[in-house]
Amino acid sequence: MKHFIINRVLSGILVIFGISVFSFLLIHFIPGDPVKIMLGINASPEQVEKLNHHLGLDKPLLVQYWQYITNAFQGDFGTSLKTGRPVLIEILDRFPETVKLAIFGLFVAVVIGVSLGIVAAKFKDSFIDKMCTAFATLGISIPSFWLGILLVLVFSVKLAWFPIANGTGFRDLILPAFTLGVVASTMIMRLTRNGMVEVLSNDYIRTARAKGLDDGLILFRHALRNVLIPVVTVIGLQLAALLGGTVIIEQVFNWPGLGTLAIGAIMSRDFPLIQGIVLFMGVMYVTINILVDVLYSIIDPRVEMGTKEA
Amino acid sequence: MAKLETYKPIQARVAPKDPIKIKSDTLRKLLKDKRAVVCILFLVIVALIGILAPLLAPFDPEEQFYESILQGPSKEHLLGTDAIGRDVLSRLVYGVRVTLTVSMLAVAITFFLGTFIGLLSAYVGGWLDNVLMRIMDILLALPSIILALAIVAILGPSLTNAMIAVGVASIPGFARLIRGAALSIKSSGFVEASRSIGSSHSWILRRQFLPNVAGVLLVYTTLFIGVAILDTAALSFIGLGAQPPTPEWGTMLSEGKNYMYDAWWLATFPGIAITIVVFSVNFLGDALRDIFDPKSTR
Repeated sequence: MKHFIINRVLSGILVIFGISVFSFLLIHFIPGDPVKIMLGINASPEQVEKLNHHLGLDKPLLVQYWQYITNAFQGDFGTSLKTGRPVLIEILDRFPETVKLAIFGLFVAVVIGVSLGIVAAKFKDSFIDKMCTAFATLGISIPSFWLGILLVLVFSVKLAWFPIANGTGFRDLILPAFTLGVVASTMIMRLTRNGMVEVLSNDYIRTARAKGLDDGLILFRHALRNVLIPVVTVIGLQLAALLGGTVIIEQVFNWPGLGTLAIGAIMSRDFPLIQGIVLFMGVMYVTINILVDVLYSIIDPRVEMGTKEA
Repeated sequence: MAKLETYKPIQARVAPKDPIKIKSDTLRKLLKDKRAVVCILFLVIVALIGILAPLLAPFDPEEQFYESILQGPSKEHLLGTDAIGRDVLSRLVYGVRVTLTVSMLAVAITFFLGTFIGLLSAYVGGWLDNVLMRIMDILLALPSIILALAIVAILGPSLTNAMIAVGVASIPGFARLIRGAALSIKSSGFVEASRSIGSSHSWILRRQFLPNVAGVLLVYTTLFIGVAILDTAALSFIGLGAQPPTPEWGTMLSEGKNYMYDAWWLATFPGIAITIVVFSVNFLGDALRDIFDPKSTR
């Protein structure tokens, strides 16, 4: 177990190092002179030189990376070219909103995914099961941003049940969280269904049935517990995915999270901010994935066997 | 070279399956599956609509009817008109061309580079496999939309760049899947046998690896088409892909979002179009997976 955790953390550190190199190189991948692109065609040579110096682009590449990474370790991700504020402050201002959205989205996903998964398994191969499977395929086929627009059209514009996307209160959160949740629920639903179908065919379930136990008791106490281990892992991974998935949904609902910040930064070619967001999101994503893997190995020690194939 | 020719019959015997037989088997299984047939037929019709857009669309997608701005569905304009009086149906029909072409090109980028990296990694193994897969791990560590955004940030917002971004962002996942499939072939006896009798690397890759990963390739490529359509539309929706006045479905949705209080049809029909096409592609992908990879769970 210890060996697995150490291995996982070490490989995570390696990946984070890779992401830091990728985010650092972003500015160098730009075709042409990045500083001229950032400042626009009307920039004077003095302005170009000044920004080049400010960003440290006039130094050798390795020196630049060293400076970038040591600054990042001290929480200095540079300064936004657009607002003049530190990148980390910009990110931390928006991050809680993204987390709020992702967590509520995950909650919706778990409620829909697990309940539909149980229902589909209970009525395996019936019309209900087929409908649930079709729902899962529809969930991965529907553009999340369109679903968001539809929900606003129906529940905000026609029925006026929810406010029209402009705040960050609880009532404003419901529609975007539901949009995110529906899309994310499909994987949880499929996993719960397949796991339940497998578990329900086991001998101990037959024994429980033979003993005359109540169907609900068998489903929730005997079967669901055994299905939940892989489902919990996927739920953890979905949280990481949802943090990225909010990018588009934030646009639909004018949600002031990291996604809106990222898109604004790309539009205004604010590269220090783009680099900061990529690095920050990457580190978040990797950290959550490591935590999920480690937790999974604690819940189900058999998982260590699976690590060799990677 | 002559030596290789002599050995060819032996290699044909040790290869596990006859590719022609696989093809006819697959086709028979595929045609037996009603949902697959319906999806294929539907997608062929969609492709034909795209090809024949100039003949089928009632109007030019950029023609403006000033007398009928933001008009709901009517006899003249079956799906209504937009904020500058363009016919929504015509833009939707022309949009098939843009959306499908861009998504297919994005998938082509993923397919060729992903297959190349996956096969090379599995076949050569050792340090090259390690280096390539660590790079893929790093890229996989970022949510694909963030990776795509980073690529668009580098290249600048445009439809071509969005296509490249979507294609490149999917390479790591695709390469890993193909590597996994190829590794299981590498360890099979027939590859060992071919190697031991001196077959060339390119022969083994072309005649033994490719035909045997073809099924997996087909399944994942189909599923990636759905992802590519969604991601390209998403990038256009947030203004980083197709730019107005291009009749692209994501851009149309974005324009529709601004008028959703006055004109529900603007955001409704492009969304339905994307959903139905991606749904069919995914359904077909699932059917193909049942045929080629029945053990996998969805």
